[in-house]
Amino acid sequence: MSNQKKRIFQIEAFQNRVVVDPKYAEKTWKILEHAIHEIYNHNASGLSFEELYRNAYNMVLHKFGEKLYSGLVTTMTAHLKEISKSIEAAQGNLFLEELNRKWNDHNKALQMIRDILMYMDRTYIPDTHKTPVHELGLNLWRDNIIHSGKIQSRLLSTLLELVHRERTGEVIDRGLMRNIVKMLMDLGSSVYQEDFEKPFLEVSAEFYRGESQKFIECYDCGDYLKKAEIRLNEEIERVTHYLDAKSEGKITNVVEKEMIANHMMRLVHMENSGLVNMLLNDKHGDLGRMYNLSRRVPNGLAMIRDVMTSHLRETGKQLVTDAESLKDPVEYVQRLLDEKEKYDGIISLAFSNDKTFQNALNSSFEYFINLNSRSPEFISLFVDDKLRKGLKGVSEEDVEIILDKVMMIFRYLQEKDVFEKYYKQHLAKRLLSGKTVSDDAERSLIVNLKTACGYQYTSKLEGMFTDMKTSQDTTQGFCSSHPELTDGPTLVVQVLTTGSWPTQPSITCHLPFEMSALCEKFRSYYLGTHTGRRLSWQTNMGTADIKAIFGKGQKHELNVSTYQMCVLMLFNNADRLCYKEIEQGTAIPASHLKRCLQSMACVKGKNVLRKEPMSKDIGEDDSFFVNEKFASKFYKVKVGTVVAQKESEPEKQETRQRVEEDRKPQIEAAIVRIMKSRKVLDHNNIIAEVTKQLQSRFLANPTEIKKRIESLIEREFLERDNSDRKMYRYLA
Amino acid sequence: MILVDGITLLCNDLEVDPQDIIMLVISWHMNASTMCEYSKMEFLRGLQELSVDTVEKFRDKISYIRSELNDEKKFHDIYNFAFSWAKEKGQKSMALDTAIGMWRLLFAEKKCPLLDHWCQFLQTRHNKAISRDTWSQLLEFFNKVDTGLENYDAEGAWPYLIDEFVEYLNENGINHSKME
Repeated sequence: MSNQKKRIFQIEAFQNRVVVDPKYAEKTWKILEHAIHEIYNHNASGLSFEELYRNAYNMVLHKFGEKLYSGLVTTMTAHLKEISKSIEAAQGNLFLEELNRKWNDHNKALQMIRDILMYMDRTYIPDTHKTPVHELGLNLWRDNIIHSGKIQSRLLSTLLELVHRERTGEVIDRGLMRNIVKMLMDLGSSVYQEDFEKPFLEVSAEFYRGESQKFIECYDCGDYLKKAEIRLNEEIERVTHYLDAKSEGKITNVVEKEMIANHMMRLVHMENSGLVNMLLNDKHGDLGRMYNLSRRVPNGLAMIRDVMTSHLRETGKQLVTDAESLKDPVEYVQRLLDEKEKYDGIISLAFSNDKTFQNALNSSFEYFINLNSRSPEFISLFVDDKLRKGLKGVSEEDVEIILDKVMMIFRYLQEKDVFEKYYKQHLAKRLLSGKTVSDDAERSLIVNLKTACGYQYTSKLEGMFTDMKTSQDTTQGFCSSHPELTDGPTLVVQVLTTGSWPTQPSITCHLPFEMSALCEKFRSYYLGTHTGRRLSWQTNMGTADIKAIFGKGQKHELNVSTYQMCVLMLFNNADRLCYKEIEQGTAIPASHLKRCLQSMACVKGKNVLRKEPMSKDIGEDDSFFVNEKFASKFYKVKVGTVVAQKESEPEKQETRQRVEEDRKPQIEAAIVRIMKSRKVLDHNNIIAEVTKQLQSRFLANPTEIKKRIESLIEREFLERDNSDRKMYRYLA
Repeated sequence: MILVDGITLLCNDLEVDPQDIIMLVISWHMNASTMCEYSKMEFLRGLQELSVDTVEKFRDKISYIRSELNDEKKFHDIYNFAFSWAKEKGQKSMALDTAIGMWRLLFAEKKCPLLDHWCQFLQTRHNKAISRDTWSQLLEFFNKVDTGLENYDAEGAWPYLIDEFVEYLNENGINHSKME
């Protein structure tokens, strides 16, 4: 226990100022300088991080940041100059390796130095806006190594040399390349671009220019494109392995320009191997390649598309004007279908269903199909052939496929109304002779037409089918209500509504007694149930089955036309008849009669009649006998069928005229419709609107439209505007 | 009704030839419905318009009436009037011969180099009646389009017959009005 006085502690300020040792900064710096040396000499393990950090910290704290910083710069620069010399000294291949090694060293050193000088990095440097340590290290490297006179050009040429070697097939050290390139990238994008990328692109351009020139001389188009593709892929691969990703676009542009764009014309038009040749031979692989490569080049696709279009138009034009195929409509259309299929294949397999190519295809087909004004007729004949026999035994799905293909061709027709006319004629013949292979196929086609052209187009066609069905019922009704007739000849009647069926001038002839009586009975039966209607027999469209016994007892059943039947029946009452007698007895018009007699007397295998004289043509003084010696392997003999045929010139003219006549009211109706809603409209607009409205049926002729307008003015439906003679006004 | 004889008398009094175009102008004033016939109403209306009530006054007015043909607007009306007047009663179109006669009459004083070609064209190529629209548009055509046809616009909504006429001229090389 002590009796100590209480003492109050006082804290006094330092009485003597703390003077920093003037040599303090120098001493501290020396420590750090030494450390840097050691770091660069790979002797860092002996250093104490804590001590160095503290020293650096103190320097900055005591306002010696300037000294520290400039010291750093000087020291580092000196070291880098040493390093530079050692790199320069490296021989040959070791140059890059040495550079790489030293760079790695430098980075490691830089890391450590930065850590040590972290305080300065965070305080002094921002305050004075000086370059941070890490960046400083990179810049110094750049300035002293990369941009050193002896290294800069050597580095570039080494790199380019390696790339070149790789391009010529050698294997190079890609890892090393990657590191070097990454170094350049780390030094800043401008370093990468100026010191490597730009020259790289220039040299590459030259390389590919030369190579493409060589290739184009010795390779054909397909092989050249293969080579180009390979090179392109190589460059892309090169970028992924050791270049900056941003270089990909630039180098591929170079290849595209030098190898493809510059030679595009020559390649596409190369004889025997260019685009046209590829198209002709369905070289899908080559075409696909050309498509992909052209896509990369400005206007590349446009060029191929144009070449394809003009080739297709030319081929198509030849197809539709080729005399050989014009003789056979079925062949003609088949060729069109084949061509379409070929190009559909090319576009889907090689041109990846490119819509612009699809459009080019469509416009080309539309162009040349309509060059031949008989295309609508031929297409109808093709369909006729298919529906008569071509589709026999074909499965339902396949039928659909074929009809769909035909429909596609149909859509290209500009004169769809011409097609309708022919189709009606051919359909009538098919229905009346009962020669349709498949009712379903017929119906299916009608549905397709309806979808393509609207319900009005097909309403009459459907009417024809209805008539056939109704007639069946009517005939049945007739037979069941007249049971006494079952012993006599059987009558099958088709009642046709005039508006729906193609108009024919109705020419009646004298029917044999047995038939005319029967026909009268039918007429009264029908009119009994359908008052107010008129029936007229179309004797030029019917058929008959007759049983005949010839001289030696040969029995045959002959399938003949109604006219032929009338002629043959005359021979029941006479052994010999001369032409005039037959003409009088049957009242068949001369041209039909001659054809009819010719088919029975002058055709081998069907000559049920004998003619004197035995000439090929029917003369007015000829005499006819039954051919007692008639022989045929078959019991049933078909003598003359009413088959749809390609029209003769005069018939064609007639049909064309009728079509033109039919168009007039349609044009007028369109004009009136338009004017009714617009009230006032100028000349050019009317023409445009009318053409548009009628487009789905036919291409309206502006001159014809003008004539119709004048006719309507005459009939006071329209008038010209008083002040502007180009305007028309609707008169209600 | 004043008919042919009466009209001949009238012409004598006026000292004009019945074929003179002035008769057309007078008929126009009367708004006569058809040539060679004047109803009483038409006659009186015409005289009223001309403000004449004696033969002398009528005779004096002749030169004035003749001059009316030089007025563009009046000529336009007279020309269009001529169509209904000269054609057959009850027909919609005018017979070709009548039309040609009328055109020659109407354009006699005017400078119309294409007129002869037009008439020739019609006689060789067309040979059918002339519709009202063609008639009226012809005047526009002669007025608007140069003899050289440089400003003829094929899209100009001209009647079809006029388009054919231009084609005819081109075919026969008649469209050059320049010196060779």
